[in-house]
Amino acid sequence: MKKRLAIIGVISLLLVSACGPSNATDSRELPYEDWETITSEAEGTKVNLFMWGGDDGINRYVDDVVAPMLKEKNNIELNRVPLDTPEILQKLQTEKRAGKDKGTIDIVWINGENFKNAKENDLLAGPFTDKLPNFTKYYDTGSQAFQYDFGTETEGYEAPWGKVQFVFFYNSEKVKNPPSSFNELKAFMKEHPGKFTYPNPADFTGNAFLRHLLYAKSDSDLAQSDFDEGTAEKMGDEVWKELNDMKPFLWREGETYPATLTDLDKLYSQEEVWMTMGYNEARAEHLIKDGVFPESTKSFVLNDVGSIGNTHFLAIPFNSPNKEGALVAINELLSPEAQFEKVKPDYWGESSPISYEKLNEEWRNKFMSVGRGGSVLEPSILEETYRGELDTEYVEWLKENWIREVAESQ
Amino acid sequence: MKWQRVNNTFLLIPALLFFIFIPGLGIVLALLESVRSGGTITFGHYVDLFEEERFMTSFLFSLTVTSISTILSLCIGLGIVKAFSPLLKENKHKLIVWIPMLVPHFVWAYLVYSLFNQSGFYSNVFGMAGWIDDRSQFPTLVQERKGIGIILTYVWKEVPFVTLMLLPVYTTLSKSYKEIASLLGAGPYKAFWVAEWPFILPVLVETGAILFAFIFTAYEVPQLLGVTSPQMLAILAYDWFYSGTWSDRPLAFASLVLVGLGIGFVMWLLIYFTNKKRMHITKGIRN
Repeated sequence: MKKRLAIIGVISLLLVSACGPSNATDSRELPYEDWETITSEAEGTKVNLFMWGGDDGINRYVDDVVAPMLKEKNNIELNRVPLDTPEILQKLQTEKRAGKDKGTIDIVWINGENFKNAKENDLLAGPFTDKLPNFTKYYDTGSQAFQYDFGTETEGYEAPWGKVQFVFFYNSEKVKNPPSSFNELKAFMKEHPGKFTYPNPADFTGNAFLRHLLYAKSDSDLAQSDFDEGTAEKMGDEVWKELNDMKPFLWREGETYPATLTDLDKLYSQEEVWMTMGYNEARAEHLIKDGVFPESTKSFVLNDVGSIGNTHFLAIPFNSPNKEGALVAINELLSPEAQFEKVKPDYWGESSPISYEKLNEEWRNKFMSVGRGGSVLEPSILEETYRGELDTEYVEWLKENWIREVAESQ
Repeated sequence: MKWQRVNNTFLLIPALLFFIFIPGLGIVLALLESVRSGGTITFGHYVDLFEEERFMTSFLFSLTVTSISTILSLCIGLGIVKAFSPLLKENKHKLIVWIPMLVPHFVWAYLVYSLFNQSGFYSNVFGMAGWIDDRSQFPTLVQERKGIGIILTYVWKEVPFVTLMLLPVYTTLSKSYKEIASLLGAGPYKAFWVAEWPFILPVLVETGAILFAFIFTAYEVPQLLGVTSPQMLAILAYDWFYSGTWSDRPLAFASLVLVGLGIGFVMWLLIYFTNKKRMHITKGIRN
């Protein structure tokens, strides 16, 4: 009997070891045919778009506007799968290690550290933006904003989908004079203890809030410089001091922080706090329309600190089973039609990375005449305070050090 | 006879394969990840772990929350069974006690959250009744540093499990031991220790061990009801696992492997000793 067990053991071990990664075949290549062949091959297929699903307006934009558009124009079925981006990358990483050349994800919505991670771990299919007719026709292909994503060179691995800027939102019934500088924001907190907080910097928006403080404590344009531990620590010291000074005046006296922006929004909609924030200058519009945010919601930026803006992108994973479909879908998402619907406040309302100069008269007028809604700041104000995004290593650095310097210090 | 034995071994194969392929492989991979650094094998990550203040805080916090939840659940569960065991023999009463078992942990945690948070149900009731003027006067029971909300959720959720485990013991527990004890002059307190405790102890230990292992590594409930810091271990491991550059991943694996081994070892010890004791008791009864 022991012998039998031993044999079984050995066999199972062999089986287990046979499950290791294999790199026998390599089907990660993007199609090289001309655009017409690609479109015809993509016809009648299904494209899986994996993307963060935390914003109802964005989800509805994809489901109710883009999906029908694609179905009608290209006969492609677009299937949105809501998943947090780090988890999407995890899935890809696992599939890669298992040698799975045919995955399930055709397009992933990505930027910043996630893009860096994906690119460095070879999880993306490769450069493809020069294949897209809409990108070469309507976008400023040489723009810095598309060449670099949080300091990482994009090299055509991702196509720009949207552009957003960071703003604060406030309830104008409770806050009569919104702060216009960082000192005024601090004064507001002291005057109204418990009515302000920011999300845990592990959250994208919370981290962006902290990056603004880094800007405030720096005298150079951080967007142009690489991450440097020394400078980071020097600026950091002042940032931690500010944050710890704020702490007693924060919601729940800084004992805990909302884990995500969604949690902060919930606090705001329940009027536990009077301000929220977000990396999209127009995101309040549909939330007001849906009755989540109070009608009196308005937005502001801090003139002295500025407002960080960035571009977000669409990429194709290495093992996308339908790369032709992915290309056609991305091309369509970049089209003036889709971008125009995206700018309108009904669903998403964010800025478009499209170049207005490259559009024809008709489209340009259409884009120019969009009323973005009462909670959105004037383009001139947004432009004046615009700051470039920091190197992605700052994101990680802030996240880790904040826990030690702020959350754990009592 | 021999064929029978061999046959039994074959019957075990599906279970064995299942274990080897799914959890077994996972454990082996986790172990490998936790000792791999570049191309070499090292225990450096474990050393790093103990130098991480976050890990130690997290460990102690998890230990406290888990111990309190487990002990409270056991005590309350025991109390309920002792007080209502005749009643609980009926199915409809059993059902009432076991309702929380039907609800998933996450849902239960959300229920606790919406009932007890500062703008939650009770806070509103208190406000309407005029006991508090402002929501912020309502005591913070969820998302606070002591883990009250987490403990509340687990106690509420696990008490039915404890009663489920203890009920069979009480239904089969012979009354005569207690009668003899009181005949020999033992008060109710003494009678409990002499005539009941030895029988329920193994079950209590076993239930407690299950609860401990379960709560110690739980994720969803502390995620919803916990604070930014201190974090329960599973949350810390998750953070490390998903940290931007993936450089903290070995730490996540190391912490979980360590906890897994720790719990496994303690479980083995407990089961070893209670089994001995149980054998002793069952033999005692038969003789």
